[in-house]
Amino acid sequence: MTERGGWTRVFRIGVGASHLERDIDQELDFHIAMRTQKLVAAGFAPDAARAKALERFGDMSRVRNSCLDIDYQRERAMRRTNYLSDLRQDITYALRTMRQNAGFTAVVLLTLALGIGANTSTFTLINALVLRTLPVPHPEQLVTIGSASRTGGLSEGSVRNDIASFPVYADVRTQSKSLSGVYATGRTSRLDLLAEPGQKEAEHPRGRFVSANYFTVLQLPAALGRTFSPDEDQVPAGAPVVVLSYGYWIKRFGGDRTAVGRSILINGVPLTIVGVASAAFKGDIVGQPIEIWIPIMEQPALMPNSPMLTDRSISWIQMMGRLAPGISLAQARSEVTGIINRSHLDHATAPERVRIQNDIRESPVQVEMGARGFSYYRRLFAAPLFILMAAVSVVLLIVCANLANLMLARASARGREMSVRMALGANRLRLVQQLLTESLILAVVGGSLGVLLAIWGSSALTALTGGADIETRLDGRVVAFTAAVSLATAILFGLVPALRATRVQLAEALRAQGRGVSSAERGTGKFGLGKMLVVAQVALSVLLLVGTGMLVRSMQRLQSTDIGVARDQLVLIEVDAQRAGYKDVRLTSLMADLAGRAAQVPGVVAASTSENGIFTGTESETTMQVEGFSAQSDADSTIAYDDVGPAYFHAIGAHLEEGRDFEARDDKAGPKVAVLNATAARYFFPHHSALGSHVTSDSSTFEIVGVVSDVEERDLRAKRSRRVYFPTAQIREPPGQFAVEVRAAGDAARMAEPIRRALSAADPLLVLRVQPLSALVDESIAQDRLVSRVVSVFGTLALALAALGLYGVMTYATARRTSEFGLRMALGAEPGDVMRLVLGEAMLLVVGGVIIGMPAALAAMKLVQHQLYQVGLLDWPSIQIALIVLGASAALAGYVPARRAARVGPLVALRDS
Amino acid sequence: MSDIDVGLMRGTLDLLILKALTWGPRHGYGVADWIEQATGETLLVGEGTLYPALHRLESQKWIEAEWGLSENNRHAKFYKLTAAGRGQLKIGLSAWQQFVEAASRALHASGSPRTA
Repeated sequence: MTERGGWTRVFRIGVGASHLERDIDQELDFHIAMRTQKLVAAGFAPDAARAKALERFGDMSRVRNSCLDIDYQRERAMRRTNYLSDLRQDITYALRTMRQNAGFTAVVLLTLALGIGANTSTFTLINALVLRTLPVPHPEQLVTIGSASRTGGLSEGSVRNDIASFPVYADVRTQSKSLSGVYATGRTSRLDLLAEPGQKEAEHPRGRFVSANYFTVLQLPAALGRTFSPDEDQVPAGAPVVVLSYGYWIKRFGGDRTAVGRSILINGVPLTIVGVASAAFKGDIVGQPIEIWIPIMEQPALMPNSPMLTDRSISWIQMMGRLAPGISLAQARSEVTGIINRSHLDHATAPERVRIQNDIRESPVQVEMGARGFSYYRRLFAAPLFILMAAVSVVLLIVCANLANLMLARASARGREMSVRMALGANRLRLVQQLLTESLILAVVGGSLGVLLAIWGSSALTALTGGADIETRLDGRVVAFTAAVSLATAILFGLVPALRATRVQLAEALRAQGRGVSSAERGTGKFGLGKMLVVAQVALSVLLLVGTGMLVRSMQRLQSTDIGVARDQLVLIEVDAQRAGYKDVRLTSLMADLAGRAAQVPGVVAASTSENGIFTGTESETTMQVEGFSAQSDADSTIAYDDVGPAYFHAIGAHLEEGRDFEARDDKAGPKVAVLNATAARYFFPHHSALGSHVTSDSSTFEIVGVVSDVEERDLRAKRSRRVYFPTAQIREPPGQFAVEVRAAGDAARMAEPIRRALSAADPLLVLRVQPLSALVDESIAQDRLVSRVVSVFGTLALALAALGLYGVMTYATARRTSEFGLRMALGAEPGDVMRLVLGEAMLLVVGGVIIGMPAALAAMKLVQHQLYQVGLLDWPSIQIALIVLGASAALAGYVPARRAARVGPLVALRDS
Repeated sequence: MSDIDVGLMRGTLDLLILKALTWGPRHGYGVADWIEQATGETLLVGEGTLYPALHRLESQKWIEAEWGLSENNRHAKFYKLTAAGRGQLKIGLSAWQQFVEAASRALHASGSPRTA
């Protein structure tokens, strides 16, 4: 057969075609034989006759190949038709079965929808936050320079490698040859926008300062109007224009095309809307969509008093570049880091150089692929989301085990039907295919319901992230994921029961006339498949329950951790006085005034002020020399600091270990004083009290008058750091932004509104942000809350499913043994004995599951241990709770069938058999 | 024989096969035998060309095949005309008739027709 067609033919026809070849050979042989015979009869010699017959026939191999081709095509078409009609039959059959068992179908679909929906929801978030690339041409060419996660970063002081100052950006932009373009982007702080004349209340759109080449580097055209032009990158305050996001244009201007060209006021500065960005583009920061882009040259106009374009000590710029053609990431990285390092060193003083050299070695500038854009939330939530993904996968496995059990029970109920059909000649593969069709339909419908559920679920998850605005779109990748998961699910829960159901011993099944099922059909002996599935479910539940317990306890530890202040009684008010025009003496008296007004509010115990506040996300560091302590390193002379108002420690409820609080007398005229926290006091003065010693900072010397217990101000997980406090009145100039700390007698949350009213009365123009401290702290552990809450939900779900599975299997097993129980009772067993028997069997399954599940749980928790706070790997309380909950649910699930078994009267049982 | 003639032959061969089967099932050799005798050995150049045609007609469901015993007790594949094949023969015959008449008229024409 290979004479003409060669390999392609061999491949195409394959193994299944051998019978076709045989038939053709036989047919052609017959022809030659008949012709030879006739020629012999006509007088030819046999050999000559055969030769003549072959000659008359023509090209044998060609004829043979043509016939084979034709037959092969025909057979393939036939097989396809058969397959399609089989499939149609299977689908009709499956749908009919599903309709006949509407209750069963509903339970299966609901369980599937939950399992698949949970997976799709989580994956949707992972997709949006971690996998999806920016909707710009050739995102793979983009690189981020510095930290991609410090989207809101602003730092004053030493130069840094994670965010940059504007002059550093300017150096990169002018000197880089490996990038075809590089843009700068930085935070705007709050914008007060007035879109119409006479508008009273300002709006606060999410804005971003960007260099004018922003849209050019991203290669994004405007949907309407234009984007920024190169000349809008030249003169400070020389580009009074903005570009709106498509969404904001629709939301705020109703999609009015005449909005372009209109003038709006931002922070009192008139700016012209010149364009609207394309609809798909919501900014380059995943999780924080931008509504309005402002040329970075407008920064001095919008934020006077902040020389952020010229000052090398203010770091606030993130950079994104596009690789020039043919340049690799490594090439760009080495060039760009070189430029930045030089830029830092060229403008540094000698002592700074040492530190910069150190930084270059220890934390060099990161230049990484930027296709997925910047994101603060990615870094925050990626790890928790992967934990969640693991949890929901486990839930789905439990769902599969549960459904496999249901299908098994159902298939065995149809055991007689199967044996009859096989006796009548149906082949096993066909029956398996039919049963699998049913699982597939269930999985497809369940999966579709799951997708609907995920639309809700993913936005619920997003809400739990607290603040992230994640676009949970169901794109191709999510749909492909869900389809793959549904398919895998169908095979997991459908295949084994289908194989089991068709492994029928014919004779036995048919002999069991009218009795329905025999244990051989199901393979549910003492260690049958159904029971093994329950054991697996219990094991997976243990995994989830122990995990839930540990995460919840870690969360509780975090929430109750002592941060050194009266956490639940404090209200924090962040004040932007600079914006309202306060300076110098007026500012100082405003601080005292606000603290005084807050203290007057009924229910308030005390109030004071500080520059940084607690858990507000701002932190200050200073260099400080300590009398009698010789600094060994840079780290020894840097210390976290805050400047605070009178009676600050009393106001926040901190514990003074030694000495005194700041008082009103610690003003400009009084002697300069400082308070150390306990960590700093122990570090600098390990052998004697810190009181009375002196520290020097910013060319002033302060006497230590108090030591306060550590106050955690930023991160519950952080190691306690050294900290020094100075009176605000004694530092060089009072801060333009500060916080008022107010301690209430009772619940702080209820005091927020009265306090806001009291403080607004001082000056209605002041921008105030009033929040209970507990809310600020909660925000700082948003990821922990997300994980522990969601995993709890899924842990409960898993437990319910496992209990359901156990109930199902025990009910089925006891029903099958009705006559046995009857007999036992006829022979004198008490109902209690039968109950104990059944419950004992149920517990055996649970114990088996626990034995398998516990090591698995511990292994899994080892993987997430870094997410836990003050919870060890072998956390007995979590394990105990998991076991108790599991045992109780199992007892409940086993009790019902056990009671039923115990109620069987001997007569009933014997009659039944 | 030129390419045009092959094309002509194939359609003709199909008709001849269908015709050969109107008197009942025959095996491939029987069909060849009948065509040989009926046409005086003028049409069938290589007997082998018959078989792809038989298999093709089978795929088109105009004839159907069944294995049986031949007159000398050998295993042989017999072809039988189906109802569809019978219909096809009828259509084919009248088409053939028209074709032959038209071709004949044209080939025997004495002058060029006027083209208006």
